[in-house]
Amino acid sequence: MNVLLAAVKAYELRNKNKAELLKTLDEQKQELASLRVQKVAGGSASKLHQIGLARKNIARTLTVINQTQREQLRLFYQKKKYIPLDLRVKKTRAMRRALTPFERSLKTQKEQKKLNHFPLRKYAVKA
Amino acid sequence: AAAAKKAALKGVHGKSVRKVRTSTHFHLPKTLRLSRKPKYARKSVPHLPRMDQYRVVRNPLNSETAMKKIEEHNTLTFIVDVKANKHQIKDAVKRLYDVEALKVNTLIRPDGKKKAYVRLTADVDALDVANKV
Repeated sequence: MNVLLAAVKAYELRNKNKAELLKTLDEQKQELASLRVQKVAGGSASKLHQIGLARKNIARTLTVINQTQREQLRLFYQKKKYIPLDLRVKKTRAMRRALTPFERSLKTQKEQKKLNHFPLRKYAVKA
Repeated sequence: AAAAKKAALKGVHGKSVRKVRTSTHFHLPKTLRLSRKPKYARKSVPHLPRMDQYRVVRNPLNSETAMKKIEEHNTLTFIVDVKANKHQIKDAVKRLYDVEALKVNTLIRPDGKKKAYVRLTADVDALDVANKV
């Protein structure tokens, strides 16, 4: 393990397909494991610095995996009636249970009549 | 007409038949149990395995007592995730180092980490495995 770790770029990861990403993830985890072994066996300061880089690489790979997965799923569920709960809008619990804009706009017949018979009038003053 | 005669004869109310009870105890009646047919998955995608082999085994120990264990008892010592159990440790060691474990003993150290003593099968030498890692 003499090769110094390079930070993987996320945009390079996005070109890979899922199987390759999972393989990359596995390799990165193996690197991290070997670095941890070296730490125990008294590694140099540079090696200890690599541990942080390795962890962030793993995080980047996982982010790309999950992001692309969820993006694809949203496309898949776009036309469907029921979508999984974690793809639904989060907002707040109260806001999710609030009346929809259409429901709020509904008026009773009585109110509708009033609005029709007594609309807001505009007056002008003759100069 | 025949129906009207029958209704007049028998009365319009149906006769209820009492069930014959052969025992004095009332047991839960067997009802229909339907299996689930969800209209949508609750979680969009199942999570990747959370306790994979890299999470279970953190790092091997190379203290003096650990070295003694390697030479004399053919066991490897690892620091292991606290939430790992012996089955997971055995499986993880197999995946990582291609060795079969005879038995796994664990303890939780005073500093909160879990230590696992993994006894290897007789056909494998712990020293070789330790040097490879």
